[in-house]
Amino acid sequence: MADEPGKVETVDGKAIAGYARRFSMTAASPERLAQPSADRGWRDRLFYRAFTFPALLVVAGTAVLPLALLLFWSLVDQRSGEATLRYYAQSLASPYFLRILLTTILMAAGVTVVSVMLALPMAYVLARHTLLRSILVPMISIPRMLPFVVVGYAMVLLLAPYTGVMNKALIAAGILSEPVFILFGWPGQAIAFGYAGVVIAIAILTGVFMTVDPQLEDAAVTLGAGRLEAALTVSMPLAAPGIVAAAALIFSTVVTSYAIPVMLNSRTPYMVSVLIYNNLYSLQERHLAYAQAIIVTALAIGVTTAAQIFLSRFGSRR
Amino acid sequence: MTGGEFQESGKAFGGSRGTRTRANLPGRFRTGIRIGRIALTAYVLLMLALLALPIVLVVVASFQGGMEVASRPDGWSLSAYEAIPTNYWDALWFTIRSAFWATICALVLAVPAAWGLVRGNLRERRFVSALVLLPDAVPSITLGIALLALFVPLGLSNSFAGITVALTVISLAMALRFTEALMGGVPEELEQAAVTMGASRVTALTTVVLPLLAPGLAIAALFVFVHNLVTFELLLFIAGPRATPISVQLFSDIVDRGVLPQAIAMSAILVYVGIAFHTLVAMTVGARYLAGSAMARKG
Repeated sequence: MADEPGKVETVDGKAIAGYARRFSMTAASPERLAQPSADRGWRDRLFYRAFTFPALLVVAGTAVLPLALLLFWSLVDQRSGEATLRYYAQSLASPYFLRILLTTILMAAGVTVVSVMLALPMAYVLARHTLLRSILVPMISIPRMLPFVVVGYAMVLLLAPYTGVMNKALIAAGILSEPVFILFGWPGQAIAFGYAGVVIAIAILTGVFMTVDPQLEDAAVTLGAGRLEAALTVSMPLAAPGIVAAAALIFSTVVTSYAIPVMLNSRTPYMVSVLIYNNLYSLQERHLAYAQAIIVTALAIGVTTAAQIFLSRFGSRR
Repeated sequence: MTGGEFQESGKAFGGSRGTRTRANLPGRFRTGIRIGRIALTAYVLLMLALLALPIVLVVVASFQGGMEVASRPDGWSLSAYEAIPTNYWDALWFTIRSAFWATICALVLAVPAAWGLVRGNLRERRFVSALVLLPDAVPSITLGIALLALFVPLGLSNSFAGITVALTVISLAMALRFTEALMGGVPEELEQAAVTMGASRVTALTTVVLPLLAPGLAIAALFVFVHNLVTFELLLFIAGPRATPISVQLFSDIVDRGVLPQAIAMSAILVYVGIAFHTLVAMTVGARYLAGSAMARKG
């Protein structure tokens, strides 16, 4: 078998792989240059490492250092300069801050669930139909390349009480007798967030479903499953990691979003990012704002990390 | 069809005994498929309409020159565009310049880093990637506050340099993701061939790898640039009267003065930029690059 590689090549997949490996080894062995990268010496590694230094330096200076300073100052008293946990204690003990945090979390969680649910079937259809995808995905992704601010303007044009298109249309159609004031309250913000969330979710989930082999579903269908059942029981579990990742991204975006709450009346609901901004600028409580920013960051990153841990557990057990 | 039946057919697969194929499905299932297809089409159309409507409203309102979308379009005009004040154009030009420089800086830093990480097969590769991606993982508002805290003593807040540095750090995360993937697609053998013929590894990088990467890098630069144009929450804190990106300008105007016709016109211009970008990407690399998480970034 080993003597005649020409024959072995045609037998089956494994033999071909073995043949290919032997072939590449004989070709590579005279040429010391082609040694695997893992065997490189420290001098070589230092050479390659040097190329990553500029990028690392910039990240250290403009991301790690500021974030470390933020953490440090949140642990230092603004007036006396002594080390203190007062800002964290003050935030976490205040029912006012906790209520705002809870409102924000509820809003973010609701928006995440609804936008993922709305986006799932759309992403599935786009992933399975190449023609539809090449036409629709560029159209759907346009809002992703717009600042949140433009989405805010669009929402005002759509939902404003007297001048908004929706209210005017519903009144003209006789469904409403007077305009509804949903824009400057939680429904308006939820719609604006949901719009942004659906756009993100469709883009990510389309990519996720494209990695799921459609033949697996076909196999389930030939074995007697319905189309819908095959999609729900075969493709959906395979796409679960992507779905959780998209949900975590939307959640952390909404929790820390600032533009939409302020543009659409920053009072009800009072989102935590608005509170941080007011502490920073209006109330001049900088270190308190830093501490609250750290708390929110910990929440956002915690949700993402928890999603990943949950997925790795869930994935290994299956 | 119930889950039990599905499991049964799963068992049938193990015993290589097919129970029921699609051709001999009972009639009600085929009706179900038809109803499902109609419902799906209706849902896709509805979602499309809902997603397109707000954007369409901005464009329509910008041509009506008012502060709302008029039901009877009696005057299509460019008056709103003509009314765009110079400070809007200044803000747009400021954004374009800083986005451009940030893109260049990010790519200049990311290409060597990606080469070192991929070719050097460094042990700390995952750590370095995670560190560079840190600005993407941290919420923009936190990074913005942190940069403000650092920039105020340095005198970098409210300046062109400060905005550009902030954009560079967020672009670098994206640029490294792109370049690492691109670099993985260039076979190492090509470089080795150049080295056996006497080129140094750096010469091999600049004369062999870079030309191969160039088309991909151009696309990456386009993505990073457009993302820089629309970044808002990161820049809100370090922006000021002397350094105002267009998104911050539009934001402070709607907060202070409400919806203005010229602001709607400027929003519409940003929509056109977005459309132009997508057309360009769809024509050069195809729509599938727009799907997937590699391009996702928080606004």
